[in-house]
Amino acid sequence: MYNGIPVSWYLVVSAILFTLGVIGVLVRRNPLTIFMSIELMLNAVNLSLITFSTYLNSVDGQMFVFLVLTVAAAEVVVGLAIIVSIFRTRRNINVDEMNILRG
Amino acid sequence: MTNLTLWVLVFPLLGFILLGLFGKAMPRQAILTIAWGASGLALFFATIGFLSMMKTTPDAARISDQVIYSWVNSGTVATGVLSNNVPLNISFGLLLDPLSATMLMIVTGVGFLIHIYSAGYMEDDPGFWRFFAYMNFFIFAMALLVSADNFLFLLVGWALVGLASFLLIGFWFTRRSAVAAARKALVINIIGDFGLLLAIFLIFQNYHTLNYLSNSAGNGVFNQVTQGGVAVGITTAICLLLFVGCAAKSAQLPLYMWLPDAMEGPTPVSALIHAATMVTAGVYLVARANPLFQVSPDALIVVAIVGGATALFSATIALTQLDIKRVLAYSTISQLGYMFMAEGAQNYTAGVFHLTTHAYFKALLFLGAGSVIHALGGEQDMRQMGGLRHRLKITYWTFLIAALAISGIIPLAGFWSKDEIVGSLFARALNGGGTLFYVLWGVALLTAALTAFYMFRLVFGIFFGSYRGSGPRAHGHDDEELFEEEEHRGGHGGFYAIYESPSIMTVPLIILAVLSVIGGLVGSYALFGRPAVYPFGHFLAPLFTNNAWTNITVPEMPLSLGMSWISAGASLGLAGLGILVAWLRYRRGFEYKASRNPLYLLSFNKYYIDELCIAVIIKPLKWLGRTANSLLEGGVLDGGSRGIAWVASGVSSGLRRLQTGYMRNYALAILFGVVLLLIYYAVMRG
Repeated sequence: MYNGIPVSWYLVVSAILFTLGVIGVLVRRNPLTIFMSIELMLNAVNLSLITFSTYLNSVDGQMFVFLVLTVAAAEVVVGLAIIVSIFRTRRNINVDEMNILRG
Repeated sequence: MTNLTLWVLVFPLLGFILLGLFGKAMPRQAILTIAWGASGLALFFATIGFLSMMKTTPDAARISDQVIYSWVNSGTVATGVLSNNVPLNISFGLLLDPLSATMLMIVTGVGFLIHIYSAGYMEDDPGFWRFFAYMNFFIFAMALLVSADNFLFLLVGWALVGLASFLLIGFWFTRRSAVAAARKALVINIIGDFGLLLAIFLIFQNYHTLNYLSNSAGNGVFNQVTQGGVAVGITTAICLLLFVGCAAKSAQLPLYMWLPDAMEGPTPVSALIHAATMVTAGVYLVARANPLFQVSPDALIVVAIVGGATALFSATIALTQLDIKRVLAYSTISQLGYMFMAEGAQNYTAGVFHLTTHAYFKALLFLGAGSVIHALGGEQDMRQMGGLRHRLKITYWTFLIAALAISGIIPLAGFWSKDEIVGSLFARALNGGGTLFYVLWGVALLTAALTAFYMFRLVFGIFFGSYRGSGPRAHGHDDEELFEEEEHRGGHGGFYAIYESPSIMTVPLIILAVLSVIGGLVGSYALFGRPAVYPFGHFLAPLFTNNAWTNITVPEMPLSLGMSWISAGASLGLAGLGILVAWLRYRRGFEYKASRNPLYLLSFNKYYIDELCIAVIIKPLKWLGRTANSLLEGGVLDGGSRGIAWVASGVSSGLRRLQTGYMRNYALAILFGVVLLLIYYAVMRG
């Protein structure tokens, strides 16, 4: 690649970011933090998509990235709206206490 | 020869449809116009057909088979039971031959008279229109039964008269007993219909057609009987199955139980359907299918034995009954047994002859009984009657004539036909019938004596002695309160409140009485030794004795003049003895004494057959039903479905523990799944 940085490094960074995102989703209780972790995972994936796009000299990967960004933005809009609504009714947004749908 | 049978069918059907759809809104006069018009036109066209047949010569030309339309026309059947390329053709046709002409005359003639009579009898009934709709329907169904030219439409008519009978027995459907009787009649008739249906299947399998005689629509069953090719055993099976149908419809042992109960219907119905016409359908069918029976001597012997047993059995029951309609019902069963005996002795003419005369005098007896019942406001118990000859003069004289006729007193109608039956049994015994027919001859003679006795017990019980009741019941006798009041001697004039029925009812009685007197003269040849001038036998000869259309000849059973006088004398003497005994016992009036004599009790309780049926058939069936309900329904079906529900709820209550509601558990599960997928791809594709 350009500066002699091999592809695998990009991918390693992407994997690390993704893993951090997964861990964030699993261990955090605040839905905002969980959201940020999900964004982290999505962007890790975006990073690897761009890497491959450049590596393969194809724009397909970049188009996917645009798509993911759009969806992520939409998802955040809906998600935040839900969180706000939950907070308004329950005065509490701890995900561990939101278990009224248990079997 | 003109075949107007279609018109005989059309008008009653039209009357039924009109009355059934619009009768409720019609005034009385319109209902009567339609009902009388329909049955009168049927009688008119039947008479024209009959007269034009009388004018036709030679005898062999007295047949007209009118194929009206082809109902099933299947081409050839290549495989299966009918593999020899026989076409399955069934057409609707009407056969007018001497037998169906005779039957049509009886059905429409007696039917018309009873239509007239019913206008008086059913006067105040709220179901007036319904009654006449059903009566017209019955005339249609019965005319279809006797004039169909193939077994399939015979079955259609057969089932429809069963339906008409069901509807009319249950006419007063608010009475529990009437509904039960109607149901009983239907169930027993279905047993018979089933036998008839099986017979028809067998006929089609073996003869490949259902037509009686060859016509434009195909071959006839009876034409093929002499061609061989069908085993005698099969024909016997066909005949016996046909006879199951006949026994149910004509109330023979052991399927007779429905007829006495059928007396729950209005009395004109009892007269028309359950005495004069419908119950003779079995006799008609055996006569109609005589070529089949003729090749199966075993079936004929069964017919004769069942007829004889029924005749004696039901005559003994009639001896002790108290309900006048019930006595007449058992008497009908007994007389039908006579007819079957004659047919079993291969004298079909005698059977049909007795059918004809019986239609006159039994209709008369029932209508007379109906007139008595009407005058007494619904009373049917002989203990509440007596001395009525002073109040009901016309009813008394006509009833007396009918009683003399059924007892077989010379020269009334019943004498000639009964004498012919007794004589035919004697002739059969002398011509190779052997002991069996001597026994049946004895049974016939004994039954003749019993018949005379119970009929005159009835006559003396109703019309002689002094009045034992307490005046006519109020009309609308279902009204118990009113009835109670009457019971406590209200202002009713008792005996002097009883009046003769209106002339609309007595005129049919007089006409039938005339027929009961002269109706038998067409058969009065035997005692003068002139078979050549036997009009009735001659009329039916193309069907029975020298079969003009099927090559089957029924052997002549000659009976010398002396022997026929012996036979006739014996039956006349025994009948006279029966009347004499009844006169000695009951001339001062009937008196009911509860007897402890076991024979009396046996007869009074109808041999406990109903109780036996309940114990042997109905109770086990009910037990079976209950057991099946608890075992199958409760154990297997309910248990099975409950088991499935139990498994499903067990599994799901296990699975619901997975739904913890903690979001992070789900996230973990997703991660776990993703890892598993990755491992799968890494291992399997790597």
